[in-house]
Amino acid sequence: MPSRLFAARIGREPAPPVTLPALFVAFLNVSLCGFGGGLVWARRMVVERQRWLDEHEFADLLSLCQFLPGPNIASITVCVGAKLRGVSGAAAALAGFILVPWLAGFAIGLGILEYAQAPLLHQILAGVSAAAAGLLIATGIRLLLVRRPRLSAVLVAAVAFAVLVFTKLPLLLVVLVLAPFSVALARSEVAGAK
Amino acid sequence: MNPNSTILAGHLAVLSLISFGGIPAVLPDLHNFLVAERGWITERDFADFFAVVQAVPGPNMILMMSFIGWKIGGMGGAIASGLAVFVPSCTACFIAFRLWDRLRDARWQQIVRRGLLPVTVGLVVAGGAVMAEAADRGWPAVALTIGAAGVLLTTRINPLWTLAAGGVVGALGLL
Repeated sequence: MPSRLFAARIGREPAPPVTLPALFVAFLNVSLCGFGGGLVWARRMVVERQRWLDEHEFADLLSLCQFLPGPNIASITVCVGAKLRGVSGAAAALAGFILVPWLAGFAIGLGILEYAQAPLLHQILAGVSAAAAGLLIATGIRLLLVRRPRLSAVLVAAVAFAVLVFTKLPLLLVVLVLAPFSVALARSEVAGAK
Repeated sequence: MNPNSTILAGHLAVLSLISFGGIPAVLPDLHNFLVAERGWITERDFADFFAVVQAVPGPNMILMMSFIGWKIGGMGGAIASGLAVFVPSCTACFIAFRLWDRLRDARWQQIVRRGLLPVTVGLVVAGGAVMAEAADRGWPAVALTIGAAGVLLTTRINPLWTLAAGGVVGALGLL
């Protein structure tokens, strides 16, 4: 595994450093697009459009952020900014993510709340929510396909999914049980591969 | 700023630091605190705020807390609540990232990363399913959710079109 990571790094062209305004604008975009959850858009911007991180690096950051407190998407913003440009990068990315979108979202939201009970608006909201749910599901599936998925990884993902959706157990409990189990499984597989 | 806004911001700052797995994980606690314990907002307010931030661009959960803060303490409350929800957790996140990145070539961390990934996938997909449950009221909506997932997985169409199509389907009264 280490040799593979190393090779991937050497193989890449030395890219010019990402500028702070570029980080600000990129996460401003992610935030403004982020209907129903910004994860879909963060991945699209950072991996597909800007190519600042590759699929593996993004999946790693997301794994870390899932186990940190706070709004996940804000954590990802901070981590991507910090990875590319340190503390000023984190600040620029977070400012882009929050300042303007917060003002816009707050103003629009107050307007919608006035009319939240209007039937047409309600129907549109329902349609957008249903589609947004599908996008989130697809983004999760894509994460699993980053590497050729191991059967054990698919099973762990399926168990995490089923427990959360069908049993309504507290998230913290689910994570505290499943994460060590999954790590132990990965450890035994790595050991077994030698 | 009124005293209730300060209490709310303090409560949110604590929730921010313990909200492992994201803010939606602490919504039940917050709901209990605001509606049952303090009686600051109604059940209906809470549901409306949640629905609206799903349909508005921007940082959803930060906005939701700002709407709650606004209801309780006006503009000052809105700003304080918004800040309380991300400043503590983002600071913690930055520190954690620095440690994590410094140790990234350690063998144990590679194993931990490999183990955490499938759990993360399960959480993300479950998040989508829970959202679908909240939004979907019948098989047309379920079909829409599955269709949107299929389009994102198999094409490079900008997801905004998928969301817009969802809105149109809803507006036509097909759901």
